[in-house]
Amino acid sequence: MTTHVVRVDRVTKRFAGHTAVRSFSLDIPQGGIFGLLGPNGAGKSTTIRMIMNIITPDEGKIHLFGGTGSGREHSARIGYLPEERGLYKKMKVKEQLSFFGETKGIPHKEAVRKTGEWLERLGLTDWTDKKVEDLSKGMQQKVQFIGTLLHEPELVILDEPFSGLDPVNAQVMKDVVVDIARQGRTVLFSTHIMEQAEKMCDRIAIIARGEKVVDGPLAEVKREFGHRYVALAFHRNGEAAGRVLQDRKLVAKVDDYGNSAEVELAEGAESDALLHALVGAGVGLNRFEVVEPSLQSIFIAKVGADAARAVASGDKR
Amino acid sequence: MNKVWAVIRREFIERVRTKAFLLSTLLFPVFIAAMSVLPALLLTKAAGTMQIAVVDGSSGGFGMRVVDALSAIKRGDGPDAESQYAPVLVTAPGEALEAARDSLIAITGLSKKAGPSFNGVLVITDEGLASGRLQYFGDNAGSPAAMGELSSTIRPLVTRQRLEREGVDPLVVMRAIGPVSLATQRVADGKLTGQSGDATFIIAYAMGFILYISLLIYGIQVMTSIVEEKSNRIMEVLASSMTPFQMLLGKIVGVGSVALVQLGIWAAAAYAITTYRTEIVGFFGADPAASSNIAGMIPAIPGSLLVVFLIFFVLGFLLYSALFAAVGSMCNTVQETQQAQFPVMFLIILGLMTMFALLNDPNSPLVTTLSYVPFWTPFVIPVRYSMAPIPILDLAVSAVVTILGMLAIVWVAARIYRVGILSYGKRASIKDLWRWVRTA
Repeated sequence: MTTHVVRVDRVTKRFAGHTAVRSFSLDIPQGGIFGLLGPNGAGKSTTIRMIMNIITPDEGKIHLFGGTGSGREHSARIGYLPEERGLYKKMKVKEQLSFFGETKGIPHKEAVRKTGEWLERLGLTDWTDKKVEDLSKGMQQKVQFIGTLLHEPELVILDEPFSGLDPVNAQVMKDVVVDIARQGRTVLFSTHIMEQAEKMCDRIAIIARGEKVVDGPLAEVKREFGHRYVALAFHRNGEAAGRVLQDRKLVAKVDDYGNSAEVELAEGAESDALLHALVGAGVGLNRFEVVEPSLQSIFIAKVGADAARAVASGDKR
Repeated sequence: MNKVWAVIRREFIERVRTKAFLLSTLLFPVFIAAMSVLPALLLTKAAGTMQIAVVDGSSGGFGMRVVDALSAIKRGDGPDAESQYAPVLVTAPGEALEAARDSLIAITGLSKKAGPSFNGVLVITDEGLASGRLQYFGDNAGSPAAMGELSSTIRPLVTRQRLEREGVDPLVVMRAIGPVSLATQRVADGKLTGQSGDATFIIAYAMGFILYISLLIYGIQVMTSIVEEKSNRIMEVLASSMTPFQMLLGKIVGVGSVALVQLGIWAAAAYAITTYRTEIVGFFGADPAASSNIAGMIPAIPGSLLVVFLIFFVLGFLLYSALFAAVGSMCNTVQETQQAQFPVMFLIILGLMTMFALLNDPNSPLVTTLSYVPFWTPFVIPVRYSMAPIPILDLAVSAVVTILGMLAIVWVAARIYRVGILSYGKRASIKDLWRWVRTA
């Protein structure tokens, strides 16, 4: 029996003039990393803010940890990194962090101790007594990240955690997030960067225009998407390959890069048939690989199609 | 409750640590000290006997009287006190007057190296005595203090001279115009309080101003720090772990305790400086007797008045800080608050005006009415209490009304705050505010 850490039940939120989130449902089981994906302005942050009870939904309900009680009442069990980062600029790093800990309900002494441990873990020990305003953007992000995790929450909600980070810092934070999930805790993070979500998430939900488009375990989403892709690279007779790839019985879509191509197989076509046709046409192949659809392509297919449908049906939002 | 405590501590520590707090806390005692030491120091600097030539062209030998009176004035007390003036009489009747005057002016106000000189030349003529306009030429003619002293020495002499000329005995006149004053004493509940009317007037005045200034300084600090938290985007982090009410309460109590600490330090410093005034003045090498005694101006504050003042000060501070917090939460920048804070400032200034009205007549119907309006009780009640007796029942009713009003305002302000802190963009209109207050 799975317990749902977060249960969003047909939630709607309207702001002056438009609906940000419409009848949105989401179940997040305990443990693992859940990715909430969507283009900018899709309603990710609004959803997260409603989960945190910073704004209240106009319709629908949100349950946390299988019971009643708002995000704020459970704040000791939740770590929240808002999209808009915020720190007291004039405060010293260690005091800032222990203050954050205390607002989550940890006693002062414990907060101070944990602050020390975390600063060491993320390599910020030298900056303990510096004011926040003296830190670089990346370091400030790390401090904010520590503030989110200091009280060892069971549920970690990160709104665009990797935006504005350099690759090294992003790596450090990714490791921390993965570590949390490994300990059986739950991570919910929102992003519009698909590569990241693809590598990290166990489950995903895609939200576009305030509505859910896809939801489920990543592997299942990919399987259901059904489109099969073939990655090709050729070293000889590229023109012949081009002709083969024109065959609409075999190939639905081609991304031709000259010496390589990404091919979406037509419905009912087998990859073997394509290989046979290419070899028969005398194309010298370097690579022939059947690949899963990338999250990126699923995202574009789903969100693009959805957007197209919305326009066709004259939805005014 | 622990969260509120964390906010209070943060607000307190972060504020007390700032340079602004240190400076303002230290500058006030320095100011008090300067007020008591500087006058003494300035007088000491002006020391040195003034050389004055009295050119007498009058017919009645008036010059001699002036010289006697000037010679009698000493700087400070004691037998070995220095004379303030060293007058020299030059009798020059009729034609000789102008020549004598001009030659003396020629050796007035020279630098020390240039040899002996006069500080000033006083010219006495019969016309001058009749019209009351004597001429003085001196290097210190620009100093109001020196001129005031000089003319107040000469004035009674001239009066006396005129009286004698009219054949009136000056002693009779002096007795007749002797001063009349009222010795006032305050009565409360049918008993003498032992306080004079003047003393309570000053206390009343000071208390109103302390409240006014604290609201201006610290109420506005509450407001601007909320705007800063909004623009720092730290509000959302806080709002996810605390209720807006906890945030508001922590901030107001935190800033309020900074205010109380600062006022406490100031009070202690003022007390210490006035108590050890003589030692401090002596340390600067000035004559202690010449220092102005500020302590003498501060009357003893009765304990019951202090309690009433503190209660209403705290209530007033909570009420107005909550209003300032609401204003802060609906603005995005400090500039925006300048306009938005106007209604709150208006209430505060009205409170101060009420206090002035009250000093005229503590028992007027207007004042009695204002004693029951929460916005103004913090100004009105302590002042009223210090000036005229308030029945204990009335006092209790005022306190209860203020507490209820304060709670209501804090409630409304908290609701505005709750929505305001997370609203960015356009500043809220009155309609928006009303909607914020109503939304659950």
